[in-house]
Amino acid sequence: MTFLKRKKPVLEGGGVVLFREVQEALKAEKVVKEAGYGVKLIAPPPELRKGCDLALEVNLVEKPGIQRALDAKDVGYVGVVPLKVGASELLDIVKVTDFGEWVMVKAANMKLTFEKRSGTIVNTSGGGCPDIPHLHAQMIDRKLTDVARPRDIGFTLCALMLDRALEEGLELWQGGPQS
Amino acid sequence: MMLLAGTVPVEGLPLTCGAVTAGGEFIVVDGRRVPCTQGTAAMISAALATTGYLGLEPPQALVAGDTGRGEGSRAIYKNLIENIARLAPRVLTLHYCMPDMSLTRKLCDVVGKCDHRPIMIADAASMYAAKAAGLAEVFDIFTPDATEMAFLADPEAIHPAYIARHLFDTDISRTPELVATACRNRSAARLLLVKGETDYVVSAGRVVGTVAEPDVPALEAIGGTGDTITGLVSAFAYAGLEPHEAALIAARANRVAGQAAQATPGTRVWQVIEQFPAVFREHLCRWSRICLAGGGTP
Repeated sequence: MTFLKRKKPVLEGGGVVLFREVQEALKAEKVVKEAGYGVKLIAPPPELRKGCDLALEVNLVEKPGIQRALDAKDVGYVGVVPLKVGASELLDIVKVTDFGEWVMVKAANMKLTFEKRSGTIVNTSGGGCPDIPHLHAQMIDRKLTDVARPRDIGFTLCALMLDRALEEGLELWQGGPQS
Repeated sequence: MMLLAGTVPVEGLPLTCGAVTAGGEFIVVDGRRVPCTQGTAAMISAALATTGYLGLEPPQALVAGDTGRGEGSRAIYKNLIENIARLAPRVLTLHYCMPDMSLTRKLCDVVGKCDHRPIMIADAASMYAAKAAGLAEVFDIFTPDATEMAFLADPEAIHPAYIARHLFDTDISRTPELVATACRNRSAARLLLVKGETDYVVSAGRVVGTVAEPDVPALEAIGGTGDTITGLVSAFAYAGLEPHEAALIAARANRVAGQAAQATPGTRVWQVIEQFPAVFREHLCRWSRICLAGGGTP
């Protein structure tokens, strides 16, 4: 007699959390689940393995929120990286565009524009994750120095890139009013 | 029916579906007010301005509050998976949602079985999910910006934050090269409207048109001006234009509206959107075969 087994849902998150200890991986699975994220215990690809045969598959786009959940519960992990071997590193370069009275800083798909004279954020643009319109509303018309960091209140890679843009904007601004 | 789906940054807003009406800085969906800012609301608002001008049925919106935890996104996907066959929209546009490859795959499976397959359009993270899941070719139209075009061309990246550095360094003039790569990798929709200093319209891998005038550089800084293009192209496709015509007109209209709003990097997107009716009155007849009585002449 043949029994047909129901397939478990496939996560397809594209990201993996790596650990040194099996216990940490098991604890992390519970913490990440409780935080409301999709998660699956997997064996990490040999190229990514960091000493532990267990890893967590997660939605890579949710990396900042997942890391925050793990940090809040003191779960030790090595990193959250793309599951695909050979994928690029997280982008760490920015582009700056001078609009005269304003400066636009671009990090990957995210852009932040501030007024040179006052350091006030006048717009954010780009991206596509659901926290981005929320961050847009939180940040515009506020000074670069007064806004909460997107990496602290956002949940996605888009938020992380907006944080990069803010970081560069702060550096430019604190380097002196822009001419 | 044109169905526009995506999350909005309204904490606690439940899944809401209904015809859209406008109110300046807000849109109203099933009696609920949503601020017309960057994202899904700007996209919907631009589509509404277009259907209003053309005298078409207003868009139906499927929205849910989501500030990044993904609940609203999943509610939208699940609702579409359950109901899309019954709703049978002529156009389905997917916008700001937490990219979820598994739910995107299920939705595409269901759409593939519909008696009347909708024109499928994706932008923002819905486009990221479609590409990452290897489903780009299921879609009729993508509307990436230059960086997102590089993302589509990078076979390994599942989000623009992970594109190869050399691709991020490219400028808009290399769009045809990136398009060719994306098409080779089967990571492109049938039609691409690549938004940038020059907008490229690409059909089946071939550049069929470009738009570079008027040049309004400030538009890139204004949150939501890419979203408006997606709303415009959705509405013109719904009006029956061929996808490449819809894309060319959308690109032109957005630029002219930006110019009319005297856009600066501090302009709000609703100030651009409110220019669309006047832009259509003055230019649409000349740009297209759509000439309404009292709607401007060539």
